[in-house]
Amino acid sequence: MNKSIIKSCLSMTMVVAMTASLIACGTNGTSTDTKAADTQVADTTKVETKAPVKLTYPTYRVGTHASAAFEKEQLAKFNEKFGKEIEVVVEEIPSDTAYNDKLKILAASGDLPDVVMGKNGINEILIKGNLATPFNEYMDKDAEWKSEIGDAALASNTRDGKIWSISDQKQIVGYFYNKEMFEKAGIKPAETWDEFMTNCDKLKAAGFTPLAMMTGENAWTTNLLLAAIVGSSDAGNKFMNTLHPTSFETPEMVAGLKQIQVMLQKYTTKDALGAVYANAANNFCQSKAAIIANGPWMIGDFSDKTKSPEGFDKKVGISTYPGNGSFSTYEVGYMIGSKTQEAKDAAAKFIKYKTSIEGQSIALELGNVNPLSDKVQPSDAFKQKYPLFVETINVGNKSTLNYQVFDSLVFPNVTDAWKSLYPELAFDKATAEEIAKKLTDTSAKNK
Amino acid sequence: MSKNKGYISLFLLPTIVLFLIVYAVSLVVLVGTSFTEWSTGTKPIFIGIENYVKMFTDDSDFRRSLLNTGIWILLQSTIHVLIGVVFALILNMKQFYWKFARTVYMVPNIISGAAVGMLFLCILNPEFGAVNSIIRLFGVSDFSQNWFMDYGTSFLSVTMTWLPYAAIVSMLVLAEIAAISESLFESARIDGANEFQINLHIIIPMLRNIIGTCVILAGTSMLQKLDIIMMTTGGGPGNVTLNLPMYIYRTALMDNNFGYSNAIGVFLIIFGIALVMIYRGIFKIGKTNE
Repeated sequence: MNKSIIKSCLSMTMVVAMTASLIACGTNGTSTDTKAADTQVADTTKVETKAPVKLTYPTYRVGTHASAAFEKEQLAKFNEKFGKEIEVVVEEIPSDTAYNDKLKILAASGDLPDVVMGKNGINEILIKGNLATPFNEYMDKDAEWKSEIGDAALASNTRDGKIWSISDQKQIVGYFYNKEMFEKAGIKPAETWDEFMTNCDKLKAAGFTPLAMMTGENAWTTNLLLAAIVGSSDAGNKFMNTLHPTSFETPEMVAGLKQIQVMLQKYTTKDALGAVYANAANNFCQSKAAIIANGPWMIGDFSDKTKSPEGFDKKVGISTYPGNGSFSTYEVGYMIGSKTQEAKDAAAKFIKYKTSIEGQSIALELGNVNPLSDKVQPSDAFKQKYPLFVETINVGNKSTLNYQVFDSLVFPNVTDAWKSLYPELAFDKATAEEIAKKLTDTSAKNK
Repeated sequence: MSKNKGYISLFLLPTIVLFLIVYAVSLVVLVGTSFTEWSTGTKPIFIGIENYVKMFTDDSDFRRSLLNTGIWILLQSTIHVLIGVVFALILNMKQFYWKFARTVYMVPNIISGAAVGMLFLCILNPEFGAVNSIIRLFGVSDFSQNWFMDYGTSFLSVTMTWLPYAAIVSMLVLAEIAAISESLFESARIDGANEFQINLHIIIPMLRNIIGTCVILAGTSMLQKLDIIMMTTGGGPGNVTLNLPMYIYRTALMDNNFGYSNAIGVFLIIFGIALVMIYRGIFKIGKTNE
């Protein structure tokens, strides 16, 4: 009898313990006990003992990402200044793609983090679902912050009068070229696209692969070339400055795709089809290709001995695209995903720091990122270390034609479609017209 | 006996509760929203069977992904399992190398699918990949086949990242062989049977249940194959290597069309259940040998 009772008790205990452990797995670890204890302390110390507001902040700027260094520094400096009132809970996400996927799922389940980077269509989802908090109120109260961002940057992220995100950087993108290869081929940066294609022939004749392209991921370097080709005509320039184009079946786009087809077939490395950014960057840094379309964040790689041979940075030049064009856009930047007013205010404070003069300076010095404000100037040491960055600013100032990158204009499913469509183009499985139609159809599928 | 049943039910309760919370509720939501138009930031709107009609009548990518998935299920259920069974029979001979071979063969199966995808991206890279480099050593100096992106080789290349690696099948079959009574083999040897005849007439017939189980596991694994495809071809070039899980991912997270992707998900579940029932019928799993 006793044994039977002991057995029953033990069994019940184990069942309860198992159930409890399963339920406990999903609970939040935050404790309100500390807060309750704190409020019992004497009145004079009430402000000091208030628990810091927790902010959730997932970021892909980690590990070997080009922006990891400045992200880390900004977080460290913010914690130094505001750590007692705001606790930033950082979640490291190892890639841009993983970040995008995670944010979309969180948006669908109504569980957004407090601070969101709105790139790659995430801002569209949040705006459409009214899931983010506009910054108008904060800008109205803080003229200094507003001036540090600038009207142009604010306007680029304003829809129907609401400022949905705060940009953290300006993109000025031309293309980098290997000066040594250009010299041996007897060419200089092209002024027209016909001259650009002729230059590619001359580079090939001199024994060099002209272009470092890639069609994997978001086909970044290839799409910069396509966008620059399309954006070099009047109608094309309008297209390359229009958000969410519904039709890609324009003469400029078809002509651009035809030119890209030739580039993919004749003027690029053998691994361009399916290559990811790392492949294209490596091909340029290892002098396997003469030209790469990319932004100033790559400049640090040219003097990084783990990525480029010694002295490679001296061989690199930067140019505008034919037609004197360059990409000049403001990044989408940060959005507030918080639900409570306290968290929203804290998120705004965090974003304010990251986009302040100090935040922009850190991003410039450690990430080669173009600042929003003219008040942020590179230090003399920086200019000496990265003279190419100064040239980038000159490229931006010199260019008379500006366009935006495809990633900023098209729906996310179109950004994802390039990797499947470019091989069709390169292997002659589809014509440029057919690819343009497929892009249009893909765009129409977006909900 | 009733006391034992009581304890059994009690101990099963936490698992059942967890299953209901995690799977059953999700399943109900999945099926329910498959009849809606639903994207992030909008409420689901009931549209009847429109999503299901669209799948079969107006979506060439769905049909291609279904075809690819079907081919991979067939290949995995047959060739993959055959490789695993043959390898198990060879290991069962317990030659001097058998422990080493068993360990080495397990390696691809214990690495994550994403890591395998990354490995194969490097191995099959047109410029510096091991495969092309070896071929160049044999005199074809300019060989730079793009295995994953060339229309002629992409499907086969993707298939080869998982088809030959049947270590799990081998381990299951080997364990089943170990359970066969040694007296059967001794009797056969006394009657003059050689190893091949023993394998063919004694071992293989007794492996019916486990082979059937392996066929089910192998076939249904193709219904969840996403990681390697995502890391290598992304479903391309075009839709040559697109399968149902990849298409569901694309529809949900790229097209932002959760209603339609959930409809495809429901179809996938029904397809999987039908597959299991067919395989159980073919192999008569659970029935004794007559």
